[in-house]
Amino acid sequence: MLNTERKLPDICPSCSAALQVTSLGCDVCETTVSGKFQLPILARLPADEQKFIVEFVKNSGSLKIMAQQLGLSYPTVRNLLDDIILKLKENEKAQI
Amino acid sequence: MKTWLFNPFTYIAGGRALIIGLIVMTITLSTAFYSNTHFDGAIDAHIGLQAPFLLYVFEQLIAWGSVVLIFFLAGMILSSSRFRFIDIAGTAALARAPMLLVAIAGFIPALHNAKPDHIDNTVIALSFIMLIPIIWLIALLYNAFTISINVKGTKAIAGFITALILAEVLSVSLNHLIQPLFIK
Repeated sequence: MLNTERKLPDICPSCSAALQVTSLGCDVCETTVSGKFQLPILARLPADEQKFIVEFVKNSGSLKIMAQQLGLSYPTVRNLLDDIILKLKENEKAQI
Repeated sequence: MKTWLFNPFTYIAGGRALIIGLIVMTITLSTAFYSNTHFDGAIDAHIGLQAPFLLYVFEQLIAWGSVVLIFFLAGMILSSSRFRFIDIAGTAALARAPMLLVAIAGFIPALHNAKPDHIDNTVIALSFIMLIPIIWLIALLYNAFTISINVKGTKAIAGFITALILAEVLSVSLNHLIQPLFIK
C-alpha cells in the first residue's frame, strides 16, 4: 500500500457544500460514534496554512521569528497571516 | 530568479531593504552627478544639465520620499492590514535600484549631443533601451506597494496607478521649486 499523506476533505465533491463528520471510530476497541459534527474551523484550512498556524503559536506569535524560519520578509509573512485570518472569518460566517 | 528580479520584497523588506536601497541610491546619485543624469520625478530620468552635487541628492530624496509618502497615505486608505512605515520606505528605496543603469547609460555621448530639433535614430534607439530600467522600476514599485500595504486585485492596480501619478506630480512639483536654488 502506498504511504501517501491523505488530505482531509472538507468540501463535498458533488455539490461543493461544507462536509460534516458523521462517524468517528476508536482504533483500539472498534467502537463507532455516529452523529453530525462540524469540522473545527482550523481543520477547514489547507494543510500548509494549518502548519503555519502551528509554527506561529510555537513561536509565541512572533512574525519576526516566523520570517527568519521561512526565509521570507516580514510583510510577506504578515500578509500570509492576514490571508489566513480572512479565511477563518469567512469560514466562521459560513458556519453561522 | 524571476522573483529576485521583480519581487525581491518577498525575501527582503524593512530595515534591511532600506539599508541596501539607500546604499544603491547613493551610488546612483554619485554616478548620476558625473553622467549629468537627473532623476527629477518619481519615475523620471533626464540627461544633460550640469548641476551642483546637492541637487542630485535632493532629486533622489524627493523621488523616493514622494513615493514613500503617497504609498503610506494610500495604505491608510486602502489597506485593512496593519502595515509598517519602514517596509514602505525600505521596499521603495530598493525598487529604485534599476535607476543605477540609467545613470550609467547617461555616460553615452550620443544622448548628450541630442538636440530637440535634431534627434537621430541612435538617440531614439537608446531612449527605448533606457525605458527598460524605467519599466523595471515600475514593476518593482508595484510589488513594493502590494507587499508593503497588503492589497490585491483591482484595488491594488487602481490604487497603485493613482498613487504613482500623485507621487509623480508631487515629486516634479517639488523639483521645480528647488531647481532655481541650484541652477542660476
